Amino acid sequence: MDLSFLGVLLPMLFKGLRVTLLVAVLGILFGFILGAIAGFSLECNKKILKFLANIYIWIIRGTPLIVQALYVYFVIPKITGIDLSSIVAGVIVISLNSGAFIAEIVRGALDEIDPGQKEAGLSLGLTATQTMIHIIVPPAFRSMLPALFNQFIISVKDTALLSVIVVNEITKQIQNYAALSFKTIEAYTTGAIFYLFLISVLIIIQKQVERKVMA
Amino acid sequence: MNTLIKLKHLSKRFGDLEVLKDINIDIKEGEVICVIGPSGSGKSTMLRCINQLETPSGGEIIYDNKNVTSGEIALRDMREEVGMVFQRFNLFPMKTVLENVMLAPVLTKKKDKQEAKKIGMELLDKVGLSSKANVYPKTLSGGQQQRVAIARALAMEPRALLFDEPTSALDPELVGDVLEVMRDLAKNGMTMVVVTHEMGFARDVCDRVIFMADGYIVEEGDPKDVFTNPKEERTKAFLSRVLKN
Repeated sequence: MDLSFLGVLLPMLFKGLRVTLLVAVLGILFGFILGAIAGFSLECNKKILKFLANIYIWIIRGTPLIVQALYVYFVIPKITGIDLSSIVAGVIVISLNSGAFIAEIVRGALDEIDPGQKEAGLSLGLTATQTMIHIIVPPAFRSMLPALFNQFIISVKDTALLSVIVVNEITKQIQNYAALSFKTIEAYTTGAIFYLFLISVLIIIQKQVERKVMA
Repeated sequence: MNTLIKLKHLSKRFGDLEVLKDINIDIKEGEVICVIGPSGSGKSTMLRCINQLETPSGGEIIYDNKNVTSGEIALRDMREEVGMVFQRFNLFPMKTVLENVMLAPVLTKKKDKQEAKKIGMELLDKVGLSSKANVYPKTLSGGQQQRVAIARALAMEPRALLFDEPTSALDPELVGDVLEVMRDLAKNGMTMVVVTHEMGFARDVCDRVIFMADGYIVEEGDPKDVFTNPKEERTKAFLSRVLKN
């Protein structure tokens, strides 16, 4: 079997990997901020915040990621007049998308905390905010880490869909190579194996994180 | 003796269910009050209404001559001075024993960390657990956890302590150590309201015992009188059932 095509394809894949990781990491970071805000809103007593958070989650979960990507990349600039580079649009899409799922993770983790913890904090004279920051959030964050990492892995795979808005991530690089070389079988097979390898590495890291958290 | 906490016509309902009906109690400074009664009698709810972990549906709570219900004193200020010990300890799992004790004084009283640590160690010593200062709560027995919870409440230098069935979740052999600590506090003049099933403690340590049933205060008085010569039928029935065991 002639593997010489790897000499061209592999460097392209690694270039794509950098973009994939950049978009996924930034996306999950902003997504975490969005998700934390939405998750706390779901848990708070303010009806309006709860409503807004639910609307946000409803829209994101109710539309395909690829439609969200096309919308952000093509429609938002038309409405606002602000041109977005494909990478910026990609980060926005992954942030918005992962944020909606992280909101549910945050809500679940907050729900899991024994109400006695909050009562203990309040009964000691702590404010509601102090109780939240010092007592509720640390164990909630610890318990949500595995799910957050899982969401990160999902987001890494989701970046593949950003190829439709010309983000030069791994999938786009595979498509580019296939189009240039006509080596369709080699391009997509190598690409799939590349993803499998990448995700496997992330899963191994996730297992380590989980073991640490559970310890 | 001055009245420290006064409950006036306190009531509480959950939906249609009225769990507290016209509760009136004067808690004097230095007094130890035990609240006894069958499960569902409202005694824990009454206790939780004092520091408003449950918001009362009606009536007033007067703390140190200031009306808490009308906001003459901020709820948080009262909570700083009226500590609570829970049935299930509610220690903070990600903090060490000493950190559990230090947390509130550092956050609310802006105590210097070193000072809070010193006081924390003294309090842990008092409850016999200074050797456990740097371990996490989950490694402790229930009785030890409850003693840490008492030290945590004491770290706020409270004027009164509320105990919500502090020994109900403990293995029988661990109850004694916790009661011992509470006896010590009572002896040293701490104002205490103790919801309990420990009749021995109620009889020997309390200044006053309150018997509740169906959301009412049925009978109250000197423990010797209430235990040996209860006036009300409900009290007699309850005591004969629990004292038989």
